[in-house]
Amino acid sequence: MATDLVADRAPDPPKSTRGRVPRAAPKTPGRRLALLLRNRWLYLMLLPGVLYFLVFKYWPMYGLHIAFKDYVPFLGYSGSPWVGLEHFEELFTGPDFGRLMANTLILALLTVVFVFPAPIVVALLLNELRVRIVKRSVQSLIYIPHFLSWTIVASLTYLLFSADFGVLAGFIHDVVGGQRVDYVAQEEWFRPIIILQLLWKQTGWGTIIYLAALANVDTQLYEAARVDGAGRWRQLWHITVPAIRPAIVVMAILTSGNLMDSGFEQIWLMTTSLNRSTSEVFDTYVYYIGITQGAFSYSTAVGLFKGVVGVFLIVGSNWLAKRLGQRGLY
Amino acid sequence: MKMVSRSRRLLAAALGLTTALTVTACGGDEKQASLDTITVMTKLFGTAPDPGGELQQAVQKLIGKKLDITWVPNADYNDKLNVTLASNSIPDLVVTNEKSPSFIRAADAGAFWDLTGKLDSYPNLKPANAQTARNVMVNGKTYGIYRTRPLLRSAVVYRKDWLAKVGLPEPQTVDDLYRIAKAFTEQDPDGNGKKDTYGLVIPKWPGNYASSSPYDTMETWFGAPNGWGQRGGKLVPGFDTEEFYQANRFMKKWVDEGLVNPDFATLDAGSWNDPFVQGKGGMIIDVNVRGTDLAGRFRQKDPKDFDKVSMVGNMKRSDGQKFSLPFTGYLDVLAISKQRIRTDEQLEQVLQTLDKLQSQEGSSLLTNGIEGRNFRLEDGKAVLINQDDAQVKVIQNDVDKAFIQLGTRASVGLGQYPFKYSNDIEQKLFDQRETLMQEDLKTAVHNPALPVVAPTAVEKGQTLDLIIPDARIKFLSGAISEEQLRAQVKRWYDSGGTQVAQEVNDLVSKLPK
Repeated sequence: MATDLVADRAPDPPKSTRGRVPRAAPKTPGRRLALLLRNRWLYLMLLPGVLYFLVFKYWPMYGLHIAFKDYVPFLGYSGSPWVGLEHFEELFTGPDFGRLMANTLILALLTVVFVFPAPIVVALLLNELRVRIVKRSVQSLIYIPHFLSWTIVASLTYLLFSADFGVLAGFIHDVVGGQRVDYVAQEEWFRPIIILQLLWKQTGWGTIIYLAALANVDTQLYEAARVDGAGRWRQLWHITVPAIRPAIVVMAILTSGNLMDSGFEQIWLMTTSLNRSTSEVFDTYVYYIGITQGAFSYSTAVGLFKGVVGVFLIVGSNWLAKRLGQRGLY
Repeated sequence: MKMVSRSRRLLAAALGLTTALTVTACGGDEKQASLDTITVMTKLFGTAPDPGGELQQAVQKLIGKKLDITWVPNADYNDKLNVTLASNSIPDLVVTNEKSPSFIRAADAGAFWDLTGKLDSYPNLKPANAQTARNVMVNGKTYGIYRTRPLLRSAVVYRKDWLAKVGLPEPQTVDDLYRIAKAFTEQDPDGNGKKDTYGLVIPKWPGNYASSSPYDTMETWFGAPNGWGQRGGKLVPGFDTEEFYQANRFMKKWVDEGLVNPDFATLDAGSWNDPFVQGKGGMIIDVNVRGTDLAGRFRQKDPKDFDKVSMVGNMKRSDGQKFSLPFTGYLDVLAISKQRIRTDEQLEQVLQTLDKLQSQEGSSLLTNGIEGRNFRLEDGKAVLINQDDAQVKVIQNDVDKAFIQLGTRASVGLGQYPFKYSNDIEQKLFDQRETLMQEDLKTAVHNPALPVVAPTAVEKGQTLDLIIPDARIKFLSGAISEEQLRAQVKRWYDSGGTQVAQEVNDLVSKLPK
């Protein structure tokens, strides 16, 4: 196989002994074909995935152009008149935009500050547990909420926190005193409740990936550190945290792309007339005006705007990660 | 090379499949199918009927056509309807709110037949009530056959036994109502020694402003316009009147004093009855059908002692003047899609079928069931029979939960033939409806703007619709002051309401008198 290599490249003995085609092989049409043939079953297995993305992810994007039209379903895509950027103008100059943007961003910020680090902290704590059985059972117990639907979580919240029959609300009232608070109906309590729900539901699940990363840390490093006199904190700070840093960075970049997604179901279920000023975000707004009000073009414009911001966020944070010397996502 | 051509072929097949899927999904195929089968989409309140069921067979036999019905649970209906309107495969007959922005957009684009003037030649389709026929119009056009409901059905349902316990007379005025609510809250009407009751039950109202909510009803009692009213020769929205604020101050007093369920802003409209039946709340302001409904629930709880419900009509204002809240007289219309029914001849054929469907015989099938199977006539009233028979139970379910939604001449709670109840208590509440309606119709405040839909409201509905109901609930719960409520009304005007008001005035002035 080594004879296939280009002359000006140094031979790569370990690779050639594995009997695989080296990556640096020149991509002449003949070679590509040979590669394709050799891995035909892999390509075949790739096909369903590609099809899935084509049919369900790329083809629907064609529909995005109705954001620039006054789309009326009966007239169809071709029959509806083009209106240019009218819907975007309406969105940016409309009375809702500032509030939607603020609500979405504040929720995103709170998520970054409170929800994102929570699994890391919990994973580190779990990692310090020495009794295996305790560690395992705690881990299993805290990821159970992940499997509950938002409908159940929302119902539980209403049961616990509403004014009339809120068990927990009543308890808080008894302990703290003062006026009974209808937590689920107050706009100032909306965000804390959303964050608490997220923490309760997602933290345990999120620890899985960090625990996996932690399991890969070489125990010799800890032994060496102990020999050098490092305490628990030193070990955590200089070995454990750096070890899971790549995982954290990748998770951070992935999260940043979803910052504008505020979790439609959760927020929709927790929205009431009283808290709408803090609860309405782009996702719920798109649903409300698109599905319940039937303004398809306008809601597509809103959704498109949201999507574009999401792309910028993910590209930007990837760039930032690379600048900071991390590996980034791609 | 053999493999290459094979993968090429695979790729080609994959692309072909994708395209085929897309085309079938989005294609507007113009099949000129015969109208032997009529496709319908309507609401469902329970389990969907079997298309081969006895009732559907009977209906199909009567009209001589097959029905292909999509039953959509009521809670999801509007969403599903909007998605259907967007999907480009609209059924021939659709039950729809003809005033909703998405329907108006579709109708403007020509997706539905304009039936203006076309219904008069069909005895069973022509409007039976002039006021309702006017209410159902969209800027002078009629887009569907209205599904009739009593024109006035607002009422106050209350716990009869509680009222006797606190020793107060039947309410006449809003002040009487307040005294009763106060007594229901403070005088321990259920006699359990605890102060755990309240006067009035209100849910989180799912509709907009002027959607016959208990709030709208009370505002009308105070003299606020029903939706839109005259002031200085111009129409203004009801929430821009002093009466609106008076009524809301009055209601806020109720909330502040704990006379209303504390979770009124979040209580789901689906579980509105529960606090009443559980003996937590003593009054409900809603449609009078609820009176009979609640009595039936008490009967299910205790068949021996259920005479607990009574009702009265609309209340007088403190100065003795009375304003009653009428309803629109209908709930949604049956609209005819142009997708498959393209020519005037085909339309005529469908209208003839509908005329047969809504004839006395058809109407009785849709709203009462099959005579001799699940009901029999007794002095012109329908008496339920054979209710223990499993098959008859199916028929009864199909009528009550499903087919009654297709009726346009008779209505939910009444039927082509009025029901005869097995007990006097429910019968009395049922009979009372007619009396209350006739009495309150004399003082009904109709909404002059119902027949029009302002273009700006269609366009900006998403921004405008929630402002007032949200602000009202916030004011009542104490989250905002009256000043802030007034500021929200101003916000409504500034967000496009000024234009809406202008357009409503213009459009109403153009309506046929």
